[in-house]
Formats: sequence, C-alpha cells, structure tokens
Amino acid sequence: MTTETISNAPAQAGSEQPIVRIQDLHKSFGGTEVLKGIDLDVHRGEVVVVLGPSGSGKSTMLRCINRLEEPTSGHIWFEDVEITNPKTNLNKVREHVGMVFQSFNLFPHLTAKENVMLAQRKVLKRSKEEAARVAEVQLERVGLADRMDHYPSELSGGQQQRVAIARALAMDPHVMLFDEATSALDPELVRGVLDVMKELARGGMTMIVVTHEMGFARDVADRVVFMEGGVIVEEGAPDQVFGNPKSERTRAFIGDIS
Amino acid sequence: MACRTAPSNPGGSLHALPPFRIFDIGAHKRRFDAGDAAPIAASDPSIIERLTMNTSTPKASPLARIALAFALVLGLFAVGSLVVPGQAQALEVTQCTAAPNEDGGNQILGGAETRITWRGQAAEDESVSSIVLTMPEGLQFDADGVKVTGLDELDRVELNAQITIPGDGTMHIDFPEPAPAGLSFLVETYGATFPTEGGTFTVSTQITDADGTVSDLGPSSEIQVAGLSKSEQLSSWLEDQEWVQAWNSNRFLHMFFDPTLIVTSIPSVAQGWVTALGIVIIAFPLAIVVGFLLALLRMSKLLPLRAIASLYVNIVRGTPMFLQIYIAFFGLPLLGVNVDNFALGCIVMALNSCAYLCEIFRAGIQSINKGQFEAARSLGMSAPQTMLSVIIPQAFRNVIPTMTNELITLYKDTSLLAAVGIMETVMYAKTITAATGNITPYIVAALFYLVVTLPMTAITRRMETGSTKKSSKKGKGLFGKSSSSDKGSWTPATDGTSTKLEVKQPDYF
Repeated sequence: MTTETISNAPAQAGSEQPIVRIQDLHKSFGGTEVLKGIDLDVHRGEVVVVLGPSGSGKSTMLRCINRLEEPTSGHIWFEDVEITNPKTNLNKVREHVGMVFQSFNLFPHLTAKENVMLAQRKVLKRSKEEAARVAEVQLERVGLADRMDHYPSELSGGQQQRVAIARALAMDPHVMLFDEATSALDPELVRGVLDVMKELARGGMTMIVVTHEMGFARDVADRVVFMEGGVIVEEGAPDQVFGNPKSERTRAFIGDIS
Repeated sequence: MACRTAPSNPGGSLHALPPFRIFDIGAHKRRFDAGDAAPIAASDPSIIERLTMNTSTPKASPLARIALAFALVLGLFAVGSLVVPGQAQALEVTQCTAAPNEDGGNQILGGAETRITWRGQAAEDESVSSIVLTMPEGLQFDADGVKVTGLDELDRVELNAQITIPGDGTMHIDFPEPAPAGLSFLVETYGATFPTEGGTFTVSTQITDADGTVSDLGPSSEIQVAGLSKSEQLSSWLEDQEWVQAWNSNRFLHMFFDPTLIVTSIPSVAQGWVTALGIVIIAFPLAIVVGFLLALLRMSKLLPLRAIASLYVNIVRGTPMFLQIYIAFFGLPLLGVNVDNFALGCIVMALNSCAYLCEIFRAGIQSINKGQFEAARSLGMSAPQTMLSVIIPQAFRNVIPTMTNELITLYKDTSLLAAVGIMETVMYAKTITAATGNITPYIVAALFYLVVTLPMTAITRRMETGSTKKSSKKGKGLFGKSSSSDKGSWTPATDGTSTKLEVKQPDYF
C-alpha cells in the first residue's frame, strides 16, 4: 500500500470532489480474487445502483467502503479521508456512512426505538432525551410511529428493515449504503422499504444501492453500475444501461431478469 | 467396676440404650469408660464443697480463725481419706455423676435414660442406718432401677437395703440393720431420665447414723445436662411408636429409611447444606467473573493471551476436580500457605467452575450472528462498545440455561470437599452414618441436594423451551430470535402501503 495521504487525493477533473472515490480496489478471499480492480466515483447527492449477478463482487465492494471487509489493495476515499489508510479512525468514518444489510441485523434485545437510540448515545454521545427525540423522528419518517416500543421479533421483515434504515439515518450519515436491502423480504413487504429508499433519494441523500430491483434502478438511480466477475462491466444513466447496453453481458443479464 | 456390675442389674441397662442399635456395644463401652473415670475427677470438687461448707458455719466470730484452721485440718484429712479410707470424721460423698448418654459424644442428654452414680464413704467409726438422697428436680426414676452396693475396700458387702420413693423427689435408703462402720456405699440409679430441657442439677444427701445423728451433707457437685432438641425429642418419641418398630423390622427400610434417623439427621445435615450453599453463593459469582475474563482472553487477538487462557481451561477441564481439591488442600500447607478451609473450598470450586464457564461464554458470544457485530460497527461503535451493548446482553441470555446447568454441577461438586474435611452436606451425613452404621443420613443428604437441583432443572428446561419457541408479544423479546430474516412473523396489513411503483421481484441468481 502506498503512503498516499489525504491532501494529495486526486480530485476528479472538471467536477467537484466526489464523496466516495474508489481506486483500483482489489479483494481476495484466500486464493479467490473477488474484486479485480474497481474504480468508482460517487458524487454528493447521487444515487448509484449497482447491479450484477450473484458472486460478481457487488456486496464485497460495498462492504469495503466502510471497511467491514478489508481490501487487499487499492484506495478508497470518503470525503477527504482515505479509508484504506491504516491510521484512519474507522469509527469516525463509519459514523457518517450508514449501512443497511440484507438481514436487517437489528439488535434483538432492544426495542425499535432503543435500536435507533443506541449508537446515538454511545457514538454521538447524545443525551437520552435527544436520542429519543431523533429516534421518534426517524421512525416516523419510515412509517413506524406506532411500532416504536416493539421488539424486532414482533415486527415483520419489512418493518424490521425500515427500523434498520431509521437506525442508520439517526446518525446523520453523509452517504447510505444499501446491501440488498429487500432481498430477504417477501414480495409484499418489499414495496414499503423501497418507498422509504425512494423518499430518501428524493431528499438528496447520497446512496450506493446494491439490489436486484430493476424497477427501483430505473426509477431512482442517477447512475447504474453493472458488475460481473469482480470488475465494472458497464456504467451509465439507467436509460442507457437498460435501453441500450454496450456490453453483451449486460444485455444478457437485463434480458434474463426483465 | 461399674462395668462389671452393670449386666447383673435387672432391666436397667437395656432401657438406657440409645436409639442407634448398631453402635450400641461401642456406645455402652464408652459410657462405662467415662463413668469409671468420673470418681477421681469428681472427688476434688466435693472436698472443696465440704471445706467451704465447714468454714461458712463458724459458731462464734472470735473462734473464726480456729475454725478455719480446724477446717483446713479437716480438709487435709478428707484428702487423706481418699488414700487411706476410714480416717474421715463423717460420711463423705465421693462421687455424684450421671453417665453420658449421647451418641458418639460424651454429653449427658435430657429426655433420654441415663445412670446416676452416687458414692459415699462413711467414716471409720460411722455406722449408717439411713441415706436420703434428694434427687434432681424433674428426674424420672423408680425404685426398681436403684441398686445399692456396699464396699469394704474392694470387697462387696451384702446389704439389706429398703428403697422407698415417696414421690417428692427423694429416695430413702434404709438399712434395718445399720451398715458396718467405715463402709463405702454405691448407689446406682439406672433408667433415670433428666428433663428434656436439660440444665444443671445436684443431689442432696442426708445421713442418719446408727446412733440417730442426722447430718445434712448439702448438695453434691453439679451435673450438667444438655437439653434435647425438638428433633431428638421427636426421634425418641418415634422410637417408641409401634409402626416405626414394624417399619424398622424390615432390614432395607431400617438401613435406608429409618424414620428416627431421618428426624435426627435433618438438622445436622441442614447445617452442612447451608455450608454447601454458602460455598456455591460465594464461588459461582467469582467463577462467572473469572470465566468471563478467560473467555475474552481466549478470543483475544494476541496469541500469548489466547495460549495462557487455553492452557488453563484445558488443564482444569482435563483433570478430575477431586485431584484439584487434593492438590490445593494438601499442597498449599506444604508451601506454608495456610488458608481457611471454607475460603479455600470456595476458591477451588470457583477456579474449577470458571474454566467450564469460560467455554460456555465463548460459545455464547461466538453464537451471536456476525451481522450483529457488523451492524454495530457500521454505526461507528467501537469494539468494546459493541461487545458491551450488543453482543454480551444477547450472549448472556443465550447462555443462561447452560450456566444454570453449570451451577447445578458446581453445587453437586461441593460434596467432593467432604474428602478434605469441609463440613458440608455429605460430611455431616457421613459422620452420622459412621456413628450409626445406617445409610439413612446419606438418603437425607440426597434429599437436600434434590431440593435445590430439581427446581433448577425445571427452570432450565422452561428457559430452554422458552428460548426456542418463537417469542410472542408476551415474551417481550426476552429470548427473542436473532434478527436474521424472519419471514414467519410479518403482518402484511401494516406493511402494505400502496404506491404505484411497479415492482418486479427478480429471480435469485
């Protein structure tokens, strides 16, 4: 790893500095290389939807952004901090990078409200009253004002996922990462979660969304990235990627699922 | 001496037997040994009493000094009379004792039959015609149990004694023909029973000589009688019941479930039970703390810490606890380290249990879904914060049933401490069994274990079924499922917010 510092992070020519910049990202699990050199810039307010078949490395790339996965090589910047620098205080970065998981990962021993309050209290050191107030606002925002005191086991999958989104939003993130947020849900529960995500996108939240929801990608994405075999095969506006894909692989993939 | 005369006593000795038949012969022997040793021990106090009696009754104050000197001379004579009998001026009570009747002990118990021995030595020129003994208040005795023997030096002298018991607590021994002068009298009262509440008792003596002189010898030395506990009273009552005797006539029932022994064992085994509980109450929390620290060490990123913890856990789990107890209890004193037995017992139990708890905690922590860790970390929580607020609360709930099992094991293992003499449940039972040759106390000990383990097992079982059952609204998520996709519990009505968004659920690749 080079000793590149924050100050000489390359700025993208001709536009403002991206909020997330990924450069030549590689990741191997044992002998298997999952990411084979990813370059991606995400700008403030942008909604980037990452598509691709299973095993293409979409989730791994996403998890590298907040270093839940340790990159093998390459660089990632978040705002003006190099995440891949070993000296970086990851907890500080993660405060501002919200993440929503496929399996929700709510804390089962806490109520919905307590789930949303915990990190506010521990990480942001907000007072109990302040954290509770923020939790109420965020839970209302995701349509769960009447479920605040329920435990996760008493909520449907869709409700759980919306609590998870509220939990991430309560930290005032600068970017939200969605890792197949609707894949574990029954079809009838997907819509509620997607509505919340659309609402977020309209509100100007920077989002990187790994999903299989083509409709969401078409409607909401500013940019669609198609990955396969650990590389970005194609990226562009949804109309272009869906309507007139350049790559044969993309064409086959979109043809398969729509 | 008494030992030889006892068997010839009509009906006395059998009644005096304690409830524990098996040990009867030994108990008997011990009792008689104690009785034989008594005269020498009792002789001195009686002399002192006589001395004080004489000094406290001077006729005139100017003569006090002379009287004191006289008393001293008399005292010396009295001492001399033991060595050379017959030189004393009047009859002297040389012994007044009761035989110990405690099982495996040397106490005199109330409520159980005992033998009261009274000895008097007449002066050389004194011929006694009547002895009146005022027996202790509340003592039960009858004329049949009284045996009067005359002794001239070592020879027995036939005495025609008429014993009357008027019922006012006195015993009149009349000799129609006055006894030969200088005779020694032995009055044994078999089958006498002191009041169950016990206390301090004396026997007062009044002598009538052949010439009609009546002398009051005052109270004897004190006899200390221990009170009988409620259970001992109940036991001796049971002993007399016909159904108990019928029950005990069956060898198996008698050896394993003797009602009289159950009743007497419970209070003492209960003391051991309290000790065992005390050990558990101290050792288990200690084991939880140490076990948890060990678990953290075992999951440490640093190899040396991991290695130390693993080594400890594997050694403790790989060796018998019995051996660990022996090493601690016999090894430490050799190093000059002397720790209180109870404290050391607690420490050994804790150090053993913490190794097992370490593995329980480790398994509990590692059983928590990795997603929980990731979710907490993705929110910016540090590793210790994640551990404290997210992982441990869940892990703790998951390990409560296994922990309870470990608690039960620990509680049962306190019995091993009996091997090094800690007075816990089994040790008490063992002591009573050793004294009675009956297994009943062990059965009682078993009951004391079950009283704790059965409810705990039931609670554990309830917790286990409770945690696997899908937690309902009543469950308040105490043992809520992990948050991994829970497709079973959705409620479509609350989730179906309608939008026009066209959603196609894709196939999974």
